[in-house]
Amino acid sequence: MTTTGTPATDTPVFAVHGLWKVFGPKAGRVPGDPRLADLDPAALRARTGCTAAVRDVSFDVRKGEVFVVMGLSGSGKSTLVRCLTRLIEPTAGTIAIDGEDVRAMDRARLRTLRRHRAAMVFQHFGLLPHRTVLDNVAYGLEIQGMGRGERREKAAEVVAKVGLEGMEQRRPAQLSGGQRQRVGLARALAVDPEVLLFDEPFSALDPLIRRDMQEEVIRLHREEGRTMVFITHDLQEALKLGDRIALMRDGRVVQLGTPEEIVGSPADDYVRAFVRDVPREQVLTVRTAMRPPLSSEEAATGPGVSPDATVSEAIEAVSRAGTSARVLDRGKCVGVVDAGALLDVVAGASATTADARADRAVPAPRREPAPPTATTSEEPV
Amino acid sequence: MAILTAPAGKASPRGVRTSPAVRKLAALTLVAAVLVPLAAARWASGTWPEALTVDVSGPLGGASDWIIDNRDSHPLFLHFLGHVSNAVVLSVRAVYLALLAVGWAGVTGVAALIAWRAAGVRLALGTALAFLACGLLGMWVPTMQTLALMVVAVAASVLVGVLLGLAAGLSDRMDRVLRPVLDTMQVLPAFAYLLPVVLVFGIGVPAAVLATVVYAAPPMARLTALGLRGADKEVLEAVESLGTTARQRLLTARIPLARKELLLGLNQTIMMALSMAVIASVIGAGGLGDRVYQALASVDVGAALAAGIPIVLLAVVLDRVTGAAGARLGQAPVPHARALWAGALAAAAAVAVAGRLTDRLEWPDGWVVGIAEPVNRAVDWMTDHLYSGVPVVGGTADWAGRFTTWVLDPLRDGLQWLPWWSVLLAVAALAWVIGTWRTALTAVSAMAAIGVLGVWNASLDTLSQVLAAVAVTLVIGFATGVAAARSDRVERLLRPVLDVFQTMPQFVYLIPVVALFGVGRAPAVAAAIVYALPAVVRITAQGLRQVDPAALEAARSLGATSGQQLRQVQLPLARRALLLAVNQGVVLVLAVVIIGGLVGGGALGYDVVLGLAQGDLATGLVAGAAIVCLGLTLDRVTQPTGRRTRKGA
Repeated sequence: MTTTGTPATDTPVFAVHGLWKVFGPKAGRVPGDPRLADLDPAALRARTGCTAAVRDVSFDVRKGEVFVVMGLSGSGKSTLVRCLTRLIEPTAGTIAIDGEDVRAMDRARLRTLRRHRAAMVFQHFGLLPHRTVLDNVAYGLEIQGMGRGERREKAAEVVAKVGLEGMEQRRPAQLSGGQRQRVGLARALAVDPEVLLFDEPFSALDPLIRRDMQEEVIRLHREEGRTMVFITHDLQEALKLGDRIALMRDGRVVQLGTPEEIVGSPADDYVRAFVRDVPREQVLTVRTAMRPPLSSEEAATGPGVSPDATVSEAIEAVSRAGTSARVLDRGKCVGVVDAGALLDVVAGASATTADARADRAVPAPRREPAPPTATTSEEPV
Repeated sequence: MAILTAPAGKASPRGVRTSPAVRKLAALTLVAAVLVPLAAARWASGTWPEALTVDVSGPLGGASDWIIDNRDSHPLFLHFLGHVSNAVVLSVRAVYLALLAVGWAGVTGVAALIAWRAAGVRLALGTALAFLACGLLGMWVPTMQTLALMVVAVAASVLVGVLLGLAAGLSDRMDRVLRPVLDTMQVLPAFAYLLPVVLVFGIGVPAAVLATVVYAAPPMARLTALGLRGADKEVLEAVESLGTTARQRLLTARIPLARKELLLGLNQTIMMALSMAVIASVIGAGGLGDRVYQALASVDVGAALAAGIPIVLLAVVLDRVTGAAGARLGQAPVPHARALWAGALAAAAAVAVAGRLTDRLEWPDGWVVGIAEPVNRAVDWMTDHLYSGVPVVGGTADWAGRFTTWVLDPLRDGLQWLPWWSVLLAVAALAWVIGTWRTALTAVSAMAAIGVLGVWNASLDTLSQVLAAVAVTLVIGFATGVAAARSDRVERLLRPVLDVFQTMPQFVYLIPVVALFGVGRAPAVAAAIVYALPAVVRITAQGLRQVDPAALEAARSLGATSGQQLRQVQLPLARRALLLAVNQGVVLVLAVVIIGGLVGGGALGYDVVLGLAQGDLATGLVAGAAIVCLGLTLDRVTQPTGRRTRKGA
């Protein structure tokens, strides 16, 4: 994905701070009480009968980025995304959309938010079985009170955009899983929302269909630049789609960073175990492996690669040329990668990566999973 | 209860001591050990003691007299019940006149067209044939009377049912309040509803319609609530995520998502309304049921059959058409649906107008085929040749007589001989072991209430008939169910039979048993067995077939014989279904045993009929209350923790 990682100066689309969602009796007392808030899930359940699905989560979603929330089942990611539009009422913390406090909204304002600003795509599609594809896509517009002719016309455009021409009059039951999810996607797109929320949208699909749908999302993002929040349990999917990834475990964000940071410098053993099998050369960029040119001669010759090129692309260039490669940023040589450094990346050696990391504009948190604000905009909510 | 005192053996110390059934029985024995000697010493130990009965016939008679005296003057009647009654009479009359005005050709045509649009060509043909058959049997006018009553009763039931269902489906509190009431109403025999409405409205059409509504509305309410509650959570969430208001959610998602349940509710309501509309002939419903009732009263099987066949035809047609409409849901809609509907309506109107112009509104007398005579001749022949003295097998009357002498009499006498407290204890033990202490408490209280009402012996008579019928039903039903579950061919053969039998109203079953066995308790039991069998067979077969195929495959892979599979895998895993089959069997048997009062079954059912016939409402009401209590007791002692929709599904 292409969005650059410069810290946003404008207001983030979503600014979430200290968010808690606790299920159970008298849930409200848990976030405020440090003795309870620090308990692990089993102890908390034993003490209070409560389950904390989301625990003190903070992050910003910047305009135009694909923000992925990743975690295994039960890690609280689906609850988290539902809290964003208060489909599940948060227990504590703040959520702001474009600087506007979501938790303070009354019913009417909240409905407006759901109708126009954030639309969601669901794991099991959530289509209305008694409506045709076209009417399912037009449903959000119907809810807004748009006339039949207008909304059908608009829906037809979106149906075409997601590649379902000719199926307008079918019922959901007559579609394959991938097609149904295209309908779900079209329904969300039809209302032209500011943010798209995806809740594990492709988990129920076959691997091949899943890849198609991922490409579809990438294409849509490239064409429209819409902000997306994407929930998944699939690391490959997270790395493929995410500009930034928040990795969740037991309701907490254990690491938040770019795919490169997650893979290149895992914050703790949990994340390390998680990313162990990821082919690092396909995720890490040459920035990780480059060093300053030793001589002006080295800075002037050899094949050029972009700083955002992956290590595997650089390996291809280096092995073809037989020399080290130059990293060119807008025609200027900013560094050099040689075969040894590239091999170190593949092998998982971290000496160079540690140095390279220090240069980065957005450093990844090392130990503490809690302060993701360090990685995001510092602006007040 | 001897297990209690036996020391827990070393082989299975945990199993015995921790088994919940044993613990419950232990607790019960403890309570009984204290209470029984006290009770036995205080009151006598045989039948229900005099001292514990409360004579309610005086106050009830007073209440009944008061209502009769004040029906024309008290404001409650003038301003509310009177209007209800008038509205019912007027609407039934209006529908009846409309049906007659459309003429037989028009009604047949409209019915066939509705069936065609809702369920397809074959059912349309069947519908037309069924209506023509009603005319041929000379039953056109009674059929229209019954139909008119049905239309009004079903409309009211659906309205009431949907409203209650919406309340229970949308509000948890209403659900908690309504669910037990609706559940209980579903298990009560139809006869129990007759007396209270007669008390308020007197004998006549309003009472018949209201009894029908009370009987037929609960399934609609239950299924509406079920449909609203069972909607796919994620669809509702998706709909909410798009910013719907609560109203939009209800109209565009929740109700459409519940369409299947709503149509199933409509189907069940129609079937139960028909069943009740026929039974309500004993409180002045008129129509087909009345013909059957009159014919049975004079043991005129031919006339009863002539009126019974239209009832069955009506039931089958109504069930199939509404069922097919439900099954068609979710299929792609036919193009030009509206144009077809309009065309169909125009055609029906044309047929009706043609009938009017040619002055052929009434069914022509020349087209009536009288079947009563030949049927009665056949029955006479049967009486002469099959009733008794058939070599080797004996005659049907002999069977009935022997069944009465050797099974029903000893069972009744045995039950009545039992000390009253031991009956209560047995009820408590059964209900508690199968259910919870709450169900046990309900069951015991209901049983005790029967004693308090002073109809202990009559109720035990009814109970003996129920027990005999249930035993036979379960033996035959489980055997057939197992056969149907194990062999596809048996299932294919049985299915159409079960389908027809399950749609027939209870009342109709009395006709053939009277023809075969005459009158008495044995025919009532026979009718009950035939009525309850299809449900038991079906639930058993379904339960066995729905056993997890993986478990069955695992057993097969270990080399289990088919007998071992049945005993060790299928039957244990289908335990819930089997318990449900027992429960349904008991409930359905009770319903018909009570109605058996009309054909000499005696006991509680007879008391109700007698009360109605002689205007002695107090006797009838007490019997009705006892029926309710007996129904509650029997349901609770056989009730596994969960519960499903009942017969007719």
